[in-house]
Amino acid sequence: MSIVEVQELCKQYDPPKGVLAVDGVSFHIDKGEIFSLLGPNGAGKSTTISMLSCLLRPSGGDALVDGHSVVTDSQAVKEAIGVVPQDIALYPDMSARENLLFWGKMYGLAGAELHARVDEVLELITLVDRQKDRVEKFSGGMKRRVNIGVALLHKPRVLYLDEPTVGIDPQSRRSILDGILALRDQGMTILYTTHYMAEAQELSDRIGIVDHGKMIAVGTNEELVRSVGEEAHVELSVDHYLEGMVERWADVPGVTKAMIDEERAVLLVQDANEVLPRLFEAAAAAGSRITEVNVTEPNLEMVFLHLTGRALRE
Amino acid sequence: MGWAEGAPHNDPAVSRILAIAWKDLRSTMRNVPALAMMLVAPLALAALLGFAFGGGQSFSISATKVAVANADTGTAGVAENAGNVVVGVMKSPDLRDIITVGDKPSAAAARTSVDDGKSTTAVIIPADLSAAIFATSPTAPMAVVELYENPTQEIGGAITESIVGQALLGFNGARAAALAASGLATANGDGERAGKLAQQAAETYMRDGGAAAAVSVAQRAPRLPGGESTKDVGVTGTILAGMMIFFMFFGANNVARTIIDEDRAGTLPRLFTTPTSRHTILGGKYSSVFVTVTVQAVILLVAGRLIFSIDWGRLDAVAALTLVAAAVASGLALLVISLVRTPAQAGAIGAGVYLVLALVGGNFTGTAAAGGTYAQIQKLTPNGWLLQGWDAVMRGGGLADIGLNLLVPLLFAVAFFAVAALRFRKRYA
Repeated sequence: MSIVEVQELCKQYDPPKGVLAVDGVSFHIDKGEIFSLLGPNGAGKSTTISMLSCLLRPSGGDALVDGHSVVTDSQAVKEAIGVVPQDIALYPDMSARENLLFWGKMYGLAGAELHARVDEVLELITLVDRQKDRVEKFSGGMKRRVNIGVALLHKPRVLYLDEPTVGIDPQSRRSILDGILALRDQGMTILYTTHYMAEAQELSDRIGIVDHGKMIAVGTNEELVRSVGEEAHVELSVDHYLEGMVERWADVPGVTKAMIDEERAVLLVQDANEVLPRLFEAAAAAGSRITEVNVTEPNLEMVFLHLTGRALRE
Repeated sequence: MGWAEGAPHNDPAVSRILAIAWKDLRSTMRNVPALAMMLVAPLALAALLGFAFGGGQSFSISATKVAVANADTGTAGVAENAGNVVVGVMKSPDLRDIITVGDKPSAAAARTSVDDGKSTTAVIIPADLSAAIFATSPTAPMAVVELYENPTQEIGGAITESIVGQALLGFNGARAAALAASGLATANGDGERAGKLAQQAAETYMRDGGAAAAVSVAQRAPRLPGGESTKDVGVTGTILAGMMIFFMFFGANNVARTIIDEDRAGTLPRLFTTPTSRHTILGGKYSSVFVTVTVQAVILLVAGRLIFSIDWGRLDAVAALTLVAAAVASGLALLVISLVRTPAQAGAIGAGVYLVLALVGGNFTGTAAAGGTYAQIQKLTPNGWLLQGWDAVMRGGGLADIGLNLLVPLLFAVAFFAVAALRFRKRYA
């Protein structure tokens, strides 16, 4: 059951000649799933989230969030969502608790309920001990946690996270990713944007790949990889007889291509786990010894490369 | 504990407005440079300008120090000494606030006093002053009273010249009348007696200091808005009222600038993603600006009363003017902020707008002294109307006397806020 339905969403800045930042994007998010928008910087991810947050008015199309239109019923949409912006959006001269109390009021909380929610969020982001310290004294990871905590105060039905792990240390990133998975396990629906392929692969139930304002592919990680027909790359080094080995490996069932790249053999295989034993057997039969093996499974990076001709990080 | 499926919350908008206003107020209170500009600068400027004009409640300048060397030896057969009369006029209690007279034993000592900067002007009365005045012959030699002035102290010199000149003019007039009477009596064959009578008349004139004059000048002032036109308005109060409104503009600008600061910091866009409406957010911002400048004005008014003993006038009228001034400053600051994109633009454009308004409106010159076209030009600005209102209230006027001075600025404030709201609506659609 979809809780977010995006239909042909467009955003053009300074029309009619301005940049078309989002160009007819459509997708849906099912209740309780993590949906990631994956794409390089400038692909249109943040603009899409801004429109779904009612911060930007779409130039065309619409989106329904929890059944409410972002164009005609923004108030109801805002009550349903929690937004974690890409940059830290907190008041540095206020303490963590003061920030949470203030933002809680902005979400309509008051009185004992507000204080109870703030206590719960402080527990969740593990900052109970530092709640009275000013945010400006916090590390980057701690600020990120408060930044996320603010969006959870009113228990939103959909949580938007716009690249929440940019610029933080690996430990804090791990903590945040674990927290997001925990929220999903409690039933929260999450829209996550990132340009980190690994994050999208680890977190997402489904992924939408965006580039130049367009949605170029949507599906689960496996579906996306399968859809482009990519194969695993196997790189092999042998102690001698490289050219002869490449000819022999090219005839091994499951190997679709074999070539020499500098001092190594590079093979494209359909299933690396199935093919690798046969490659070792063929080398032993020829009297060669494999000295190094490197297997690269097909991934979203390859999917993006396949679809756009560019690497994701470019 | 689950984190999904929260129910909608409906805390009233007023509560959110107060939360935003309180947050901004706290931030302002922690901004020491801004506080200094809002409170210390207007008081310091008012004190400086007030003292420059003599301080206190009424306009005055420091008494001019005059060194007098009176060498007049009098003249035979005449009891009165013209030199002493001139000195007596200068030492008159009525002139005590204007000039301070110091006697010097000689002309050289008087000049040295000026050269040393101890006196502004030296008045050197010659030995033959009485002889020249009481001479019965129209061809008697003319005596010259010398004024030795510090050229950089033009006002003091002009005041001394005016006082001494006035006294000598009287002498010359009396002498002319006496000579005319003496000539007439001589023509009638009773010259000696007539000459004595003329001399006695001149002596009497000098002794009375012209008190028996038949014609005098009286000053009257037109009735100004505010009823009791007779109440004196202190220069410090006038200056502080102008400075207060001027710096209220800057104070409002400082607080309103948090809109741009928050926009750049990302907290304003985040506020717009919450269920708090744009009107509520702007209402909170407006409230924080309004409260801040109102508090600023109250502090300045109280400080003006305690430090400079300024009588601001009736409390209800003062309160009304303060609130309207705060509304104008807040609306104008929000309008300026709605037109700019960066803090630097806010500072530069804001300062320009406020300075022009202050110059046109009369914040630096006061309104009471303005007349003619300038008085009309001042009314093109809200601060011009406000300043005229302050002037009227300080002269003793009440609410009934300043109706327009409240209404017109209030209309300005509403217009400023409306345009600002439209601009913000467009920017944060």
